[in-house]
Amino acid sequence: MLNKTMKMTLAAVSLLAAATMLAQPAGAQDKKFKIYLSLSYSGNAWQSETANIVKALAATPPYKDMVDLKEVISGTDPQAQISAYESMVDDGADGIISFPISSTALNRTIKRGCDQGVLFFMYDATVTEKCAYNVSYLTTGFGENTAQALVNILGGKGNIFLSRGVPGNSVDKHHTDGAMSVFNKYPGIKVVAEYYSFWDDRTTQQETAKALAAHPDVNGIWSQAGEYGAIQALLDRGDRLVPVTGENSNGFRLALSNPAMQAKGLKGVSSGSPPATSGYAFKLMMEVLTKKRDLKPMNIEYPLPWVLAENIKVCEGDRFENGCNAFPESKVPSSFVTEVLDPVMLPELSMKSAIDGTAVDGATIQPLPKEVKEAANAPGINCEKCDAPTDAYKPYKIEPIVAN
Amino acid sequence: MTSRAQNTSYIALPDKRANAKINRETISAASVAVLCVAMLLGSRFISPSLGSWSQVETVLTLGSFLVVLSFGQGLVILSGGLDLSLPALITLGGVLSTAWVGAGNTDAVFLLPLVLVGCGLVGSLTAVGVVWLKVPPFIMSMATSIMVASATLGMTNGTTRGAAPELLTDLMKSQIAGIPASILLLLAFVLFGWVLQARSVFGRHVYAVGTNVQAARIAGINVTLIQFLPYVISAVCAGFVGMMLVGYSNGATLRMGDNYLLPSIAAVVIGGSSILGGRGTFLGTVGGAILLTTLGTVISAIGLNFGLRTIIEGSIILVALLVLRDEFFERLRGFRKP
Repeated sequence: MLNKTMKMTLAAVSLLAAATMLAQPAGAQDKKFKIYLSLSYSGNAWQSETANIVKALAATPPYKDMVDLKEVISGTDPQAQISAYESMVDDGADGIISFPISSTALNRTIKRGCDQGVLFFMYDATVTEKCAYNVSYLTTGFGENTAQALVNILGGKGNIFLSRGVPGNSVDKHHTDGAMSVFNKYPGIKVVAEYYSFWDDRTTQQETAKALAAHPDVNGIWSQAGEYGAIQALLDRGDRLVPVTGENSNGFRLALSNPAMQAKGLKGVSSGSPPATSGYAFKLMMEVLTKKRDLKPMNIEYPLPWVLAENIKVCEGDRFENGCNAFPESKVPSSFVTEVLDPVMLPELSMKSAIDGTAVDGATIQPLPKEVKEAANAPGINCEKCDAPTDAYKPYKIEPIVAN
Repeated sequence: MTSRAQNTSYIALPDKRANAKINRETISAASVAVLCVAMLLGSRFISPSLGSWSQVETVLTLGSFLVVLSFGQGLVILSGGLDLSLPALITLGGVLSTAWVGAGNTDAVFLLPLVLVGCGLVGSLTAVGVVWLKVPPFIMSMATSIMVASATLGMTNGTTRGAAPELLTDLMKSQIAGIPASILLLLAFVLFGWVLQARSVFGRHVYAVGTNVQAARIAGINVTLIQFLPYVISAVCAGFVGMMLVGYSNGATLRMGDNYLLPSIAAVVIGGSSILGGRGTFLGTVGGAILLTTLGTVISAIGLNFGLRTIIEGSIILVALLVLRDEFFERLRGFRKP
């Protein structure tokens, strides 16, 4: 009887010991940085690329053993993202890297997190809360620069379409305000149709087709993301193409550099939102967390991609090497956003990382350039109660032609 | 004299009143068509380029997606159900035909029908839930929708790879004897849908089940089967719309079906069908779909801001629906014969 009790006790003790031993590595894991990746929604190429490169970087040594990354997708409703942030803060997150769905709605929650020592890094879209880091290209003047490029191509006169983003979105408004500030300077430029394409190729194609039915004589299209759809709508209609400015889809870049398309009249520039900002933001955050960089919360600018037809070069491998900046049709879908790679900021990544979120074999995390560029103020977008610089909406990528 | 009247009393006398000769559903289908043409011609006032053949081509091409989709939705509604899983199935059909079949695939002729079979299987999942487990169609099809959408998201990791198989681009982009293939496809589909819904035994059975399940059962109809099949057909149609969209825009996205759910129901209802089932014609639905597309094209040409345009669009849909209701014709009939 006693013997039996002893045996039981022994068994229990050994079990306990085993459990403690198992718990040991788990205890060591506490030293891992707990990072949350908070997306608003997933479902377009741009969004998933931003998430995939963060995952790939977190799986690249040495971060592989230092980071515990969790992804949360909360949909297009600010309320859902607020409650997602709340749970992350309560869970003891070290850092939250996020695409914020609203520039103002999340502020209170972010402030609460900051007070508990959580680092907030926003990419692409921004928030006006001062304790968060914003990493974005938004202040680099996508709207006015592409508009100026279109005006220059058209010689200052012609009928144009505006293919916009999501109605009521601050980013769409910022881009369009920038573009209109340029178009309004040229009396010869007439906006004959303006439609919302929800930053989506298919919607852009259908909306452009509708606009073309009413205005077949259009001379140029200024487009936000979804630009490849505009080209397809033009092609559906016949042989004549017109100049199109747009963002960074692979399909658009291949079309711009295609001599057959150029012969039909396609000209333009590829610019706009680079998914690479998420990777840059993640690496910055890790450098701050590992005390390799001393950086106070601020608005950080990511340079505006600006690729003219003559500078488009198709890559032979899976990386941006030797100045190449597009991939063959056989490797990526037309909606793939090429500016997810950056040979200087993100040399660890390849096109494959952007598509499936895996680290590149043999790659290790490289330090970022020391300099961080502070972004200009954009009221309501990256700061509250602030003034925009006096030269806001002034094109700088291209010399404006004289209005006549 | 009396005996003769008794002998024939079981034969219903034909209703010889003039307005009874025309089927009320024919009237609403015809009025939808008239509205479309009027709108197309009227749109010339907005822009002189409108109302042209090229605009008709645009409308028919963009409308063909909605026509095919609302055929399936219409059948489900006719049988007394509702299908909310269409957007997810459009995406599934689209993603499978780009990522799994893809461009340059010589077996596309065999693989594309397999994709449709897959969509049909998903549809039968919804049907099992609705018909056997008695889950309300609204909830069941929503659940299928969420599951399928999440599966496609997981499957693709967010990036839909591949391009359209040549078969599909030919279907949507090529021309046969100067007429766009997409329009011929639309005509063929309308003919097929009309025969299936209005002239086949199956179609008649769907009407019967949608009108009164008990009566249909007593009449010897296999009610379970007739409630089951519309969901399968609807899912296959949605998958096919996914393929058509892939052919049209040479690629798939995960949100490609999002804009089609409400229009698919609206087209059915505007076309004169009852949302409660048992009544409506496919030709009416076709009219409804074309009307919605025409409206979208014309509205987008008005140089008003987006909010105002959407308000106008909503109002016109509402007016169309009110005017095309049965009660409106009943009332007209009443005015004519006080």
